Amino acid sequence: MADNREWEPKIVAFCCNWCSYGGADTAGMGRFQQPSSLRVIRVMCSGRIDPLHVFNAFLEGADAVLVTGCHIGDCHYVNGNYKTQVRHQFLEEMVKEMGLEPERLHLNWISASEGEKFANFVRDVTEQIKKIGPSPLKPEGVN
Amino acid sequence: MVEIGDKVLGYATDPGIRNRGASGGMVTAILAAALERGLVDSVIVLRHINEYEAVPVITDDVDEVLASAGSMHTVPVNLAKYAAGRKVAMPGKPCDVRAVFEQAKRNEIDIDNTFIIGLNCGGTMHPVLTREMLVRMYEIDPEDVVGEKIDKGKLFFRTKDGEEKAIPIDDLEDAGYGRRESCRYCDVKIPVNADLACGNWGVIGELAGNATFCEVMNGKGVRLLENAIESGYVQIEPAGEQSIAIREKVNSAMLSLGEKWSARVFTEIPEEQRINYYMEQFADCIDCGACKEACPVCTCDEDSKCTMYHSLADDYKMSMYHMVRLLHLSDSCIGCGQCSDVCPVDIPVTSIFRRFADPAQKKHNYKAGMTLERPPFLEVMLK
Repeated sequence: MADNREWEPKIVAFCCNWCSYGGADTAGMGRFQQPSSLRVIRVMCSGRIDPLHVFNAFLEGADAVLVTGCHIGDCHYVNGNYKTQVRHQFLEEMVKEMGLEPERLHLNWISASEGEKFANFVRDVTEQIKKIGPSPLKPEGVN
Repeated sequence: MVEIGDKVLGYATDPGIRNRGASGGMVTAILAAALERGLVDSVIVLRHINEYEAVPVITDDVDEVLASAGSMHTVPVNLAKYAAGRKVAMPGKPCDVRAVFEQAKRNEIDIDNTFIIGLNCGGTMHPVLTREMLVRMYEIDPEDVVGEKIDKGKLFFRTKDGEEKAIPIDDLEDAGYGRRESCRYCDVKIPVNADLACGNWGVIGELAGNATFCEVMNGKGVRLLENAIESGYVQIEPAGEQSIAIREKVNSAMLSLGEKWSARVFTEIPEEQRINYYMEQFADCIDCGACKEACPVCTCDEDSKCTMYHSLADDYKMSMYHMVRLLHLSDSCIGCGQCSDVCPVDIPVTSIFRRFADPAQKKHNYKAGMTLERPPFLEVMLK
């Protein structure tokens, strides 16, 4: 498709049911402007997010992956987000070693009331990704 | 009698074992004694087939243990997985011992029931490459070889007509032979995490070549050694100052050589080229899964997360199987080199895995397989 529209990145956000998904909802209800680059995947807890979901998102063509959950100490399942944090430390290290830009993987804690934070976060990431361009792991033929 | 921290020189009392064993047959004798007096139910040893081949066997036959005397530098098998679920004694290179600890952390091995006699290890060699090396560098027929030894930085091969030929290991390694790559940069040469740390480093004077230097590392080591002495299999004498100093010297020389190799193998790949480097390497993968099968720290069964995503039909730019494994092993890879050994398409799997595991383990100030104290990070238990 040869058109002059600006390239729009694809961003996959994993949101936990109890906090960050609510945050995304609040962002919509509060009518905070957000780019259309986001695809939200709802999970019950950020602790459910296996690193392989993140890899799969990248390999299927995501330009960035956001892992979001409740603030530390607020987890609906007591300690799910601690587990996310431990995994993220290793994931971060791996993304760095692999040569993917660190901007492509983010971990953020967003509560259900932080709609504005959610919208700003998505906007920031989209800006960063627009600067660095499409992911090198994007398969052929995927925009 | 024997105490933790003791450093002794020992050898088998039986002249037959002593002659056949690599350095006084002490390890063979300790294993045989442990089995005979019921300290363990079985022993893991290597059954020799020829100079380049041996198979691990789990045996309760003392004769089988005695027959296994002698070192095999060209059989780089890892014995850790064989110890699962048994009350065993086993000899082990530092990488075997580290793998046992990683298995124990994942509840596959009961460490209290596993007696490990650690062997000092400067490196092992790949059997196929060794045969090639014998033809190309030594110009002898591999079938004629009846013995090998490593001494003072040289690799000796003895043929059946009694001739001996030696080439410095450095020269061999510059030509791409010699020790396996992972052994060259290995950073644990004395198995301090085993129960007994044995080896010929530091054996001097008239005992040189037919006694073993042995350090008792813990309570299980005390039991092993006392048992062997009481049953009359082994004789020991305290090691002198000079022996201890020489052992330390050899160790630090090996470690600094390892560091040099490490710098040579792990050349920095510029960040923007890394992803292409890894994609190119893994593009050769034929999804045989051998690296997972051979991996001594992997405790997953057949239906594991990584193998679920084995597919030749996907259009992914990088193998999902390897990505899962890279993350999974970043807290547990011990760098034993088994995966590179078995790879049919010669992907340098071990060095790639070390590139990922090293920074992660350094960041957590952690070395896989050394103690039971640190949990596997990705399976962290929260209390």
